Amino acid sequence: MNPSLKLLLVLLLSLEISFTQKLVVNLLLIAVGLGLVIATRPGLLTLLRLLVVPAIPAATLSITIGLFTPGHDWFFAAVLASRVYVYVLLGSAVTLSTPPLRLARSLEQNAHLPAKFAYGTLAAINLLPRIVTAVKTIKAAGQMRGVTLSFWSPRLYFKAILSAITWSEQLAQAMESHGFVENQPRTVAQPIPLSKIDWLRFVGSFGLAQVVLIAFP
Amino acid sequence: MSTRYHLKDIILLALIGIIFGVIYYAGDFIYNGFSILLTPVGLGPMANDLTMGLWCMAGPMAAMLLRRPGAAFLGEFLGAAGEMFLGGQWGAANLISGFVQGVATELGFAVTRYKHYDWLGLASSTFFATLITFGWDWFRNGYAHFSLGLNLILLVARFISMFVFCGVLVKLIANLLERAHVIKPA
Amino acid sequence: MTDPITIQNVIFSYQAHQPVLQLADLTIPRGSFTLLYGPSGSGKSTLLRLLAGLLPKYGGHLNAQAAINLAPQETAMLFQDPSLQFALDTPQHEAEFALENLQVHRHQMRHRIRDAFATVGISDLADRQFATLSGGEKQRAALAVVIAMHRPVILLDEPFASLDAKNRALLLAQLQAQVAAGKTVIIADHDLANYQAVQPQIIRFDRAHQATQLPEAAAQALLTAAAQPIALPTQAARTWPAAIVGRKLVLERPHQRLLDQANCQIPANKITLLTGESGSGKSTLLKCLAKLVPYQGELTLQGRSLQKYRPRQWGRQVGLVFQHAADQFLNVTMAEELALSQAQGRHPYFTPANLTAAIDLLGLTGLADRVVYSLSGGQQKKLQLLVMLMMGQPVLLLDEPFAGLDAASAQAVRQLITACQAVQPATIIVVSHQLAGLAGWVDCHLHLSHQQLQDLAEVRS
Repeated sequence: MNPSLKLLLVLLLSLEISFTQKLVVNLLLIAVGLGLVIATRPGLLTLLRLLVVPAIPAATLSITIGLFTPGHDWFFAAVLASRVYVYVLLGSAVTLSTPPLRLARSLEQNAHLPAKFAYGTLAAINLLPRIVTAVKTIKAAGQMRGVTLSFWSPRLYFKAILSAITWSEQLAQAMESHGFVENQPRTVAQPIPLSKIDWLRFVGSFGLAQVVLIAFP
Repeated sequence: MSTRYHLKDIILLALIGIIFGVIYYAGDFIYNGFSILLTPVGLGPMANDLTMGLWCMAGPMAAMLLRRPGAAFLGEFLGAAGEMFLGGQWGAANLISGFVQGVATELGFAVTRYKHYDWLGLASSTFFATLITFGWDWFRNGYAHFSLGLNLILLVARFISMFVFCGVLVKLIANLLERAHVIKPA
Repeated sequence: MTDPITIQNVIFSYQAHQPVLQLADLTIPRGSFTLLYGPSGSGKSTLLRLLAGLLPKYGGHLNAQAAINLAPQETAMLFQDPSLQFALDTPQHEAEFALENLQVHRHQMRHRIRDAFATVGISDLADRQFATLSGGEKQRAALAVVIAMHRPVILLDEPFASLDAKNRALLLAQLQAQVAAGKTVIIADHDLANYQAVQPQIIRFDRAHQATQLPEAAAQALLTAAAQPIALPTQAARTWPAAIVGRKLVLERPHQRLLDQANCQIPANKITLLTGESGSGKSTLLKCLAKLVPYQGELTLQGRSLQKYRPRQWGRQVGLVFQHAADQFLNVTMAEELALSQAQGRHPYFTPANLTAAIDLLGLTGLADRVVYSLSGGQQKKLQLLVMLMMGQPVLLLDEPFAGLDAASAQAVRQLITACQAVQPATIIVVSHQLAGLAGWVDCHLHLSHQQLQDLAEVRS
């Protein structure tokens, strides 16, 4: 499916289940999500992480609801726990099946998002290794002056923001040097199709979800 | 909004969101720690409330740095968009929380008419962020099912977290940036 | 097209009355290989950015009378930091992004990119993630993008800073080929060591922020001198007791081995100079000793493995004076930086009286309330060295401590370090490409090349 539509669909479904309490629907969506995730052939580690990491918030919520609320409503506890897994699996189904660039191109071409937002965010994403090194360097600079910097230290954020300002200017200059001009038309290297079939699939999937939502308790 | 934001501002906003995420993750899964400690005594959801302030810092920080409408929202939302592909496990669900938190932190600066990039703006942002994210969890995370007492405790925990991180810590960082002439004095 | 590039009446400044570049009249012929040469902070990088149209757009002020007959659309730039010049994740995607910006139709895009990548010899890297490429491969990818863009003027800002010898030679050869094909190549660099084979015309920038074109003979003499390896009179490291010992030490960057050394040692409480071509891995070796990058093999300090130290303890043992001074600072004003080092520092030399004298010696008197990030490059460097010396770690690693300093300042820094050593000696490693004034001050001289550390005192004898 077209990446923009896929993202929209998942966002709509995630929103919808936030406001409904249908265990069967959640379980069905989990099954679909898991199927889609597995279809992208993720590594075993990725798959394990997807299944294990949500377990903590899911367990936290359901144990609290089941044991510590006046109603001891274990059904709702199960709804909440399954909801966490729906978010994670549907969300990952999008990110695992769509490289960031393809989504950015789709948002630029199909959703007419200004290019500076699409590529500005991509540029920042691609800087992640640099960010991790910089945070490490700031902490080391602290250690060498007898200061331990942690997530509550203003100086850690202060230094990181100073770096971010330098990087953002440097990257913007580099992109400009590669011909980028804000609000100027661009051609596309890879057209992202948005066909009638995409729309049909989108409307079909969303419609099916509504039917299931109404049909099941 | 798009004319007021140049390429370098957009990169900076996304970077701030991602950097705050990196520092948060480097802080060793505080959420999980709290959660395991608090769940056996029935206060499990408080882990979410206690760490909420950390999640929402990028918004007010971006507003204090760029001082224009939309900065808080974009800082929070672009950061979430970045984390969608980097952080991994929450995937596109990140976008929804990013959107809610972005709106929540932005609102505080909007009601002060984008004129208070100071204590007042931050306090207002903290207040709205607490209420709106709490309202969101009321539906999404089943807070409606908790007792009134628990809800009050959670609300207070969330407000404290927001106040400490989005209020005090952001103000301290902004003070440093101001003194370094990176941002103009309020 | 054939008119030379002329730059006239340029005065550029960031702060009023403090010009960072002043050029009355400068001519750069089209189709030439031109080198802007001078110490850091002399304005050569500023000129490149003016030519690229990035300044004054990204800050600063250009006087109204300035005239440069080069359109920014004719230029494309390679930046000093190889990883801060790409918005996308792979060379192929970056090239597509650039050609989309130029509104090239996608049918032409494919072969333009293919040709450019083949020209630079990076066809096999087209779809690799930038994060997995070495600095040299990234710079070649950047060049390929610029070639695909068909820009007639290629600007390069210290492009060799993190390149190994092989990639540097490749990049230089490709640039020469571009000049032969009619393009204009302009490089800013502070180090002439790489350029003898290219015979560029040299425009020299001085500390007064002015530039003069060197006559051919003078340029030739400079290039020849830079190509000579210099060995300082030193003593072999192994004649002293060792502080740091490495065995089977291996150091790597992505797809590039920097060091593969069976045995090496750094003498205790002496000053060891570490040299090597740019990109050979000197900075990485220092970072490895500071435990900022991983290594394989065995590394010990005073007989105890580095692995056994916790980060906090290690910070008390080893101080790294970063190449980029601002990375060292944790506060806002100079007074705060000094106060932190006074509170946390342990070097006995820095009594209040000696500290005041040191501040005076370094020419930092009266700057206490200044924001450290707004100090000049030289002042930042000197303050950085001072606050790290005050910490008094037993091991001090200095990465290009003299870069951007004039001769007198560099001398003052050495004098201060000598005075500190007399009171409480530390094991010091200095990485420097500037050797002036170091004879007699350093005790040992190690040279890193071809993944080996050579003791030059032993090579000589």
